[in-house]
Amino acid sequence: MKSMKKVVGPEYNLGEKIKTNVYAVGVAMQESVYPHTATVFYPRERKKMPDNFRGFILFDPDKCISCFNCSFVCPANAIRMKEAPNKRYYPTVDYGRCIFCHFCIDSCSGGALKATKIHDVAYKDMDEMFTPTEEMIELPEIIREDKKYVEYEIEEDDLHLKRTKGEDYLFVDVPPPIQIPMVSQCIDRASCIGCRVCEEMCESGAISSSAENGMLRMKIDTDKCTGCGLCVKECSMQILKLERK
Amino acid sequence: MATAVGAGQSEWEVAVPEKPLKDKTYFENLKAKVIDTNLCSRCLTCAAICPGGITVVGNKVDFPDYETKCLDCGACVRVCPRFVYEPKSGLGDYIEFIAGRSKRFAGQDGAMVTELLVSAIEMGMIDRGLFAGRDEKWATEMFHVREPEQLAITTLGGTKYTFADVLPALKEAVMFTKRGVGIVGTPCIVSGVRKLQQEYPIFRDRVKLVVGLFCTENFHYDDITKFLQEKGVDFSKLVKTDIIKGKFISTMTDGKVKFKVAEAEDIIASGCNVCTDFTAVESDASVGSVGSEKGFSTVAVREENAKKVIEYIKEKGYADFGEADTSQLDFLIGHKKKREENIKGDR
Repeated sequence: MKSMKKVVGPEYNLGEKIKTNVYAVGVAMQESVYPHTATVFYPRERKKMPDNFRGFILFDPDKCISCFNCSFVCPANAIRMKEAPNKRYYPTVDYGRCIFCHFCIDSCSGGALKATKIHDVAYKDMDEMFTPTEEMIELPEIIREDKKYVEYEIEEDDLHLKRTKGEDYLFVDVPPPIQIPMVSQCIDRASCIGCRVCEEMCESGAISSSAENGMLRMKIDTDKCTGCGLCVKECSMQILKLERK
Repeated sequence: MATAVGAGQSEWEVAVPEKPLKDKTYFENLKAKVIDTNLCSRCLTCAAICPGGITVVGNKVDFPDYETKCLDCGACVRVCPRFVYEPKSGLGDYIEFIAGRSKRFAGQDGAMVTELLVSAIEMGMIDRGLFAGRDEKWATEMFHVREPEQLAITTLGGTKYTFADVLPALKEAVMFTKRGVGIVGTPCIVSGVRKLQQEYPIFRDRVKLVVGLFCTENFHYDDITKFLQEKGVDFSKLVKTDIIKGKFISTMTDGKVKFKVAEAEDIIASGCNVCTDFTAVESDASVGSVGSEKGFSTVAVREENAKKVIEYIKEKGYADFGEADTSQLDFLIGHKKKREENIKGDR
């Protein structure tokens, strides 16, 4: 066993003792009048979250192409696609399962899902945590009692709270995450059965077909293709593949 | 199988087959020429390739709501072995006829078929074999066998004498496979696989072993169950069914029910009445009981890949081999050859 190191306390002379004691009393009196708390007085105050905070998810049905990417990628199986009255499939989120990883937002090829800073939604029971598509389109109703927002600042190796009057914006329109540009390509031309499901599925009109003297000519417009992968999923022979542009 | 990265194409052409009935969809053409003329063998090659939804309704191949759902791509008529029917018969091309008895598996002819596929999996030629199993009501179900241990399921072995949906399962297997797929089927299924391979390279590359079965005829599930129940067969006690020397034998836990196959003539599936292929001439290897001693199965080795599997089995000593007598096959080949007369129409 190694020899233990004895910790020796600082030795003060009388002058230093008086000085340190006076400083301690001074700090105690200052804190009693104007306290420096490390905690946030929620809900009267709110912590200011960074713009890309992973909170409640908003959904824009106009941008959704029903590609199912969000529900496939969800590691907690929180996202289910439900059929809407217009026969398209839109996501629903079960916040009882959601782990707020926001993989869904990162994978959304149309930019239909958006992150907000809302992290404090209360529910009465587990069933209520299932959020249908309609409730994801607009921000949930929030009673705002906060008059200040709080930011943490590090000064001279010390953590300080900076309080500012005003309300923090809960929704910041951050541009959708940058995705690797992908394009759909046919990897086995001879195995194409010519069913044109890809053409039917394509939202951006990138796939076209034309029939001429006994041959069906298929064409993928690489400029129009957004790389959403809908045709890849639907191809019955699985001969389409996403490749880097 | 392995496609080089960046090998994708953005433009390609697909040959569109000709339509005999010009202003109808391809499915209506198929229906008029094959299904309604009772030529259809119910091999389900069309159902395997159809992106819309060709399926089986009752005992017939059909496409509910084809008016709205048919994509009119022509894949069904491209792959249908009977749309342009070239009946095949005889012994076909073969390297050798041998008799074999598996030491590892028990059963009538299924044992040798299982031996061939399992050995092919062990060799690494294929990574999955498609087997027809059955549920407790003796309806067929398809199983993907990837490990020989999976064959412990007793319902996988044994002959069923009813149609199985082999080819739709084959398409699924082809999409998942990494090395290749092995398949067992009646001559009509073998013809369907060959047609798929002829038309689409994805099947040519990935279906590595096609084992055919000697087949005189087959029965629709509804018909044969009704017929057997009338004969006094209790399906809850049924262990296995065999056809030996023209007799249909149903073995139950408490006895046997025997009758002549000729009695079941009325319920033979209509597609079998126009089939002349007894030995599955297009297969890589075909297996049946006719032509060898009791306990042995006749194996017709037709292609090099099947020859390799047989050599592997010999090397490992998984089976006993003997001589096969092809002259015994002549009667049944002749019996099926007569069915050529039943083929009517403008072909």
